[in-house]
Parts: sequence; structure tokens; C-alpha cells
Amino acid sequence: MSTATLGDASPSLSPMLARLAEERATGALLRDHGTLYLLDGQVVHAESPAAPGLDVLLADRLPREGWQEAFDRAGPYGRVGRFLVDSGRLADGELELAHLGALFDAAYFALAPGSGPTRFRHGVAHWLGPVRPVSARLVARECLRRRELLDTLWPYPDTDSSPVVREDLDAPAPVTRRQRDVLDLADGTRTPPDIARALGRPAFHTLIDVRRLAAAGAVTTPREETGPAPVAVPRWVADVSQDPDIALLRRLRNALEAL
Amino acid sequence: MSGIDACLVEAMQLPGARGAALVDWTSGLALGTAGEAAGGDGETAAAESAELARMAAEHGTFAPGGGQDKGLPVEDVIITTRTDYHLLRYVETSFESSVFLHLWLDRDQGNLALARLRLADLAERLVLG
Repeated sequence: MSTATLGDASPSLSPMLARLAEERATGALLRDHGTLYLLDGQVVHAESPAAPGLDVLLADRLPREGWQEAFDRAGPYGRVGRFLVDSGRLADGELELAHLGALFDAAYFALAPGSGPTRFRHGVAHWLGPVRPVSARLVARECLRRRELLDTLWPYPDTDSSPVVREDLDAPAPVTRRQRDVLDLADGTRTPPDIARALGRPAFHTLIDVRRLAAAGAVTTPREETGPAPVAVPRWVADVSQDPDIALLRRLRNALEAL
Repeated sequence: MSGIDACLVEAMQLPGARGAALVDWTSGLALGTAGEAAGGDGETAAAESAELARMAAEHGTFAPGGGQDKGLPVEDVIITTRTDYHLLRYVETSFESSVFLHLWLDRDQGNLALARLRLADLAERLVLG
């Protein structure tokens, strides 16, 4: 978390994203786990299948019809966010808070290291329109910081994408309200992003809760059923099976009979 | 001017205000800042104040039962130093979030009672408009 590890060079900023920011590019940066939308080189939105979108986060606040109206009226102009505020559906600050929450949440997955090829589609704009643009450098830094924060809590990144199951503890540690909701849905099938979506919460909040719960032993990530573990046999057994050397087989037989 | 920036600018108009920030206490990210950064580095200030805010919001001593279903159990956190005040005010939103306003005040010029009331008002207006 120290600034020293982040440094001015910002190694977290990929060369491609750095170049797009410098060129003040507009378009969509497509990666395996999400999409970053740029406007004049700044990040204006992000989406990821792993992170609940604005509509999910704001489901209690803005009913489906509200979204539909905004989408129909302002979607073609790419100004849905502005429309929601101007029409009095949402307060300025409210939209900004929800938007930034969703943006950083999705960017965390979209910019995950090593998640396949990166493509950029020039000129593509998101229907939401600019709400509160963030520099690409800040988004990349924050993604790295979040990864480090999660690893400080429980250094097993697989926890984020594996089904989690609640453990029955004799003396369970006290949990927060947020963690209690997460525990209730930790059924051994749902992954942390599934739980976040079910709760209508930012995925990162759930990743944090799950890592803390895992560190406390309150949840575990069940491993895939692989059947009985293969019995370890000496390497020479394989050699023998491939080697039709009769003399060797005879020696083996003799050795076994001598036991 | 946007909602977050307008809110921070207003907070900075309080007597003795040195810095203001809107911070997410789950991630430790500053969503907006104005004035000076307490301690000299904004990123560190956000991360450290977030940790304090999280403790107060989640630990059973201050938030019995880990917080009830409706409403935030803790309203604000006040730190008094020899020279300054730090006031953290939780922002209540209609959706799942974890943000607070951090106002840093000079102790000689600041008025803690006034600042507390104004910050509560600002936190409310930020999301209600």
C-alpha cells in the first residue's frame, strides 16, 4: 500500500493503456474480464461480467422503468447519466458515487493481469456518457492497490473466483452485517462475484469480506472433486511397462517371488 | 460543478478548514479531494482514514450487532490532536456503498460543533441533491 511500491513510473499502467491515455483516445478497451471506456484518454466507465452494473447497484433506488425511460430518451445521444440527474431521478452526487463505485469495481476485473489479449475499438462510446471521468493512471494504480490490499488480508487470489462454502466453527468470530449476508449465501456453489450480484453490492466489497472470512476460517473454497488421489508409484514402473525387455521382467518376477 | 466537488468546496469554506476528502472505507480510495492532504500524501491519508472509519463502522464496540439493517450505526468519528481536528462523517446512501467525508480543521480557527453540524448537512445533501 505504500506509495513507494507504486512509484511514479506506475508499472501498473500497461503500455497500451498509457499510449491511449497519452493520445487522448476515445473508444472501448476490450479484455477477457471486462471493458474500459475511454473519452479523450480518460476512463469514463468500465464494465465486467464479474461486477454488478449500475442498474443492479441502484436497483432499489431506480426502478426498471426509470432506466428504460432514460435509456430511450438519452441513450442514442450517450447521455443517460446526465438525463437521470436533469430529470430529477438521481442527485448529482448520488450518481457520481454509484458510478465511481461501479467504475472502479469493474476496472479491477477488466485490468486483471494476464487476462488474455487486449483490443481497442476506436470511437466507441458508452450509453451512460461522462459522469466523472478518471485518469487512466489513477484507475490502473487503484486496481493494483486493491490487489495488494486483498493479498494482505488473505494471500490466495483464487479465493476471488472459487465457490465459497461456510464453515461451521465451534467459536465463530464476530462478523459484520455485511459479512453475515455473505455467509448466508456461501453455499459452496456461488463464487464471490455471484454473491455480490445476489446482494446488489460492489464485487470488491464481497471480495474483501470473503478474504477476511477466509482468513478467520469462517469460509473455505471447496476444491473440485477429482476422485481418489492417484496412488504414487515409483517412476521405474512406467519405464518397465514401456519396455518389453524380457530379461528385466524376469528379474522383476524373481525379485517379487523372493519377497 | 459536480456533486462531489461542490460538496468538498463547501466543506472547505468552514472556518479553519485545511483539507477535505470523500473516501471509500472499503477500498481506501479517495473519490474526491480539496485543499491540503493531511500528512502530506493524499493516497496515504485516504487509506489511513479509511481504516479508522472501517474499524468504527464495523467493530461491535461502536456498532453493536455489526450495524442494524437500516441506517448506519455510527454517524461520525472525531479525532483531536494538539493542533488539529479530524472529522469523519459517514455518508448514507440508498444503495450499497461505504463512503465518508473527511474534514481536516485547524484547531485554533476551527469550530468543531459547527463543523460537525455542517458536515452532517453536506453528507445528506450530497446524495439527496
